[in-house]
Amino acid sequence: MAAYIIRRFLLLPLILFGISLIVFGMIQSLGSDRLLAAYVNPGLLDKLTPNQLEKIKEKYGLKDPMVVRYAKWLKNTLTGDLGWSVVGKEPVKNAILNRLPWTVELALYSIIPVVFVGVWLGIVAAVNRDKFVDHFVRIFAVVGWSFPDFVFGLIVLMIFYSMLGWFPPGNLSFWADVVVKSPEFKRFTSLVTIDALLNGRFDIFVDALQHMVAPILTLSWLWWAYLLRITRSSMLEVLTKEYIRTARAKGLAENVVIHKHARKNAMIPVITVGGGMVIQLFAGTVIVEMVFNRTGMGSFTAVAATQLDYASIMASTLFYSLILVIGNLVIDILYAAVDPRIRFS
Amino acid sequence: MRTETKRIIKRLLRNPSAVLGFSLLIFFTLVAIFAPIICPPQSYNPYMIPIATWDKTPQPPTAEHPFGIIDGRDIFYGVVWGTRTAFKVGLIVTLVSTLIGLLIGSVAGYFGGWLDEVLMRITDIFLSIPYILAAIVVTAFLGMGLNKVMISLIMFGWMATARLIRGNILQVREEQYVLAARALGVNDYLVILRHVLPNTIFPVIIQATMRIGSLVITAAALSFLGLGAPIGYADWGSLLNFARNWLLGSSGEAFKYWYAIVYPGVAMVLFVLAWNLVGDALRDVFDPRLRG
Amino acid sequence: MRSDTVEKSVLSVKNLKTYFYTEDGIVKAVDGVDFDVFEGETLGIVGESGCGKSVTSLSILRILDEKGKIVEGSILFGGIDLTKISEEAMRKIRGKDIAMIFQEPMVALNPVFTIGEQIVEAIVLHQKVDETTARKIAVDLLRKVGIPEPEKRVDEYPHELSGGMRQRAMIAMALSCKPKILIADEPTTALDVTIQAQIMELMKQLQKEYGMAIILITHDMGVIAENADRVVVMYAGKAVEYTDVKTLFNDPKHPYTWGLLHAIPRLDIEQTRLYNIPGIVPNPLKFPSGCKFHPRCEFAQEKCRIEEPDLEEVAERHFVRCFYWEKVEEAKSKEVGDRR
Repeated sequence: MAAYIIRRFLLLPLILFGISLIVFGMIQSLGSDRLLAAYVNPGLLDKLTPNQLEKIKEKYGLKDPMVVRYAKWLKNTLTGDLGWSVVGKEPVKNAILNRLPWTVELALYSIIPVVFVGVWLGIVAAVNRDKFVDHFVRIFAVVGWSFPDFVFGLIVLMIFYSMLGWFPPGNLSFWADVVVKSPEFKRFTSLVTIDALLNGRFDIFVDALQHMVAPILTLSWLWWAYLLRITRSSMLEVLTKEYIRTARAKGLAENVVIHKHARKNAMIPVITVGGGMVIQLFAGTVIVEMVFNRTGMGSFTAVAATQLDYASIMASTLFYSLILVIGNLVIDILYAAVDPRIRFS
Repeated sequence: MRTETKRIIKRLLRNPSAVLGFSLLIFFTLVAIFAPIICPPQSYNPYMIPIATWDKTPQPPTAEHPFGIIDGRDIFYGVVWGTRTAFKVGLIVTLVSTLIGLLIGSVAGYFGGWLDEVLMRITDIFLSIPYILAAIVVTAFLGMGLNKVMISLIMFGWMATARLIRGNILQVREEQYVLAARALGVNDYLVILRHVLPNTIFPVIIQATMRIGSLVITAAALSFLGLGAPIGYADWGSLLNFARNWLLGSSGEAFKYWYAIVYPGVAMVLFVLAWNLVGDALRDVFDPRLRG
Repeated sequence: MRSDTVEKSVLSVKNLKTYFYTEDGIVKAVDGVDFDVFEGETLGIVGESGCGKSVTSLSILRILDEKGKIVEGSILFGGIDLTKISEEAMRKIRGKDIAMIFQEPMVALNPVFTIGEQIVEAIVLHQKVDETTARKIAVDLLRKVGIPEPEKRVDEYPHELSGGMRQRAMIAMALSCKPKILIADEPTTALDVTIQAQIMELMKQLQKEYGMAIILITHDMGVIAENADRVVVMYAGKAVEYTDVKTLFNDPKHPYTWGLLHAIPRLDIEQTRLYNIPGIVPNPLKFPSGCKFHPRCEFAQEKCRIEEPDLEEVAERHFVRCFYWEKVEEAKSKEVGDRR
């Protein structure tokens, strides 16, 4: 198994290389004219003569052969120079670093309800197969899975913000934002909720959470429905296995049979799927941040796409892909940790 | 096969969620087919929702505009013609991406060796970009428009099918009846076509059905972000885009614009629900091992 | 029903009926089974697949599927009726006084726990020992069942052992609390022939050492001949013949047993064709009327189609469920006569 993991690790750069090729290729296909926008303020571009445009193109290497351009871009990326973000009006690297913590925070908090609610309900449904609880939970799950996240988000916004005023959009209230940006507010983890607690500002902690409830609800809604279905089927399958019968024949209490013997086996496929789902949570932030008007990697990417900020788009894509690839690797390791049969093959 | 079909239909009818799913699907199909009759088009492009008023504030439902008005356009028209858009996008993208996936997956699975290795690495790379992100990126580069959205969805939608068919083929390839056919000298393509594919096709169909749902959601999400259909196009996603702007702009009162969200939203949820239920039902019938 | 003495009868099953309530109808998996299990002896339950022998054993331990219910009968163990006690009381008996091993050890052992962990679990559950002691006991048990290097094996996972060793591990686990009865459901069916012999040998040896009774469930008459003391022959959920093993082979009285014995290929006489009982095992949802075996029985008469026979003691400690068992006797003596 160690060999397997190592092989996957080695494939990582290959995959990232492949992704970069795809994205790079797409951008370059636009032609050097449109690309100029990444380097020069579009407002200025109209005022330049074709001659000046050519000179600028040369200066930024837009006239070089593709391979050279890729090499330059690669070198820049690896050294941290990701270009200029039109949307953020700052270097892409800074734009990302400023927005990343918000998204990470949102995604992390969302994992908790997804995993616990999804898995727990899935087990409950499986153990009570065909009874009322089971049907109810399954309908819940199918509907949840069919609900587009942005529709759900809009409805949540409508009810909890427009109607009740409980959970406003955005990241923080104006007053909290001022405090957070001030020099007295020390940043330890760059995650606002934790920093708020570390700074002793419980009020900011609450404010941040208040702004997160609705997006978390929306983000997790889709996924715990999915996780529930997977857990349920996995659990049902495990419950038909012979070793469950052996466990009962030994005289074990039913809840030990379920929670010790069945669950550990049922979790194996759930981890694989659940892991992939956590990664999708990150992808989901693109929509959710837009719906709730939050600052973060997600909304940054969406806006960059609409405004054709190529440097930002490329960087975001690479970033999300990196998460996905690493995430898959982590899942594989977890999978081997849980299933001893994999460990030895 | 006839008694088999009858048995399948009987089983499907016994399952209430299957019945619901199929009924919804039939309903939507009818709406899509009869769209020109329900909402007669008022311009050369029936997909552009006609402008009902020049006042941009949303108007609540009236007898003339049963679902209300948003951005000056009739929501009812948008929802009805949006059904056609949903079917168009869903079916075309699924069909084409499934075919591509079938091609790549079968070749990889059947011939194996370095061809398989290479194709699978490429598949891995494509799989490494989250779907919605890929769609956003490609659409950004191709420009706005529903067709471009469909292309980007197809470009990144074939991988699951490819993997599935490849896995099935790897299994079936070693089965006795395939070896027997090859031992008889049947050429490779015929073996794939007549022995391998018929036995591996059902999971693909089921998977495709289940994909349509999430596909429509992703397409709508793109429209919602402003990347898909042009403004005023009959598309549920873009209708909701309007709704968002109005919702965020006000507070305490926005519930009065509920119709802007509820009607297109419900249409979308029911449409996706229908496909999911049908996919579930098909899976229960054809692969009882997976039954929940 | 019988005139048996109840001396040293460890388990006494009377008129057991277990039905399954399925969507397609009621399946009468066990519909009238009677037998006794005596201390230190092996009771064999033999029959074709689907005759209800496994369900009988699951009924004894009451680990039936949700849809299964014991609808009638009694199972007396140590003076109490197992069909009537609470689930909690039943759990104290399972794995401790009555233990069970299953056919396929690969699927019957939990793949994510080591065999040590699984044995220790059984020990700690029923006995008041701590984990370290339990582990020692487990290692000793593994050694006793013939697994080499038990200290190493105890920390291995089921998939790391061979089929024969896994079965031994299961036996170790079942014996960990020194049960009075061991139920073995087709313990050797999934194993190679040579390993089969070893496992049966091991079980006999342990039986003598622990003084326990064994209920051996199998479809293999050969295994019965070598290992059982008394035998119950089952067909379509009912016990059709019940006697000691020698009598069963030398003097069978039920047409089904007669058929089973004839189906065993013989080395000592000329056979041009292998015999098998005509017809197939009936669908439990569509049982034939009257005697369940009559469509396949070469001795069947009109009465067999209408009425069902009871299990009757027709000779000392020899029970048969058949109206015309004498015809079987006749056929038997004719055969013996022919051969002389």
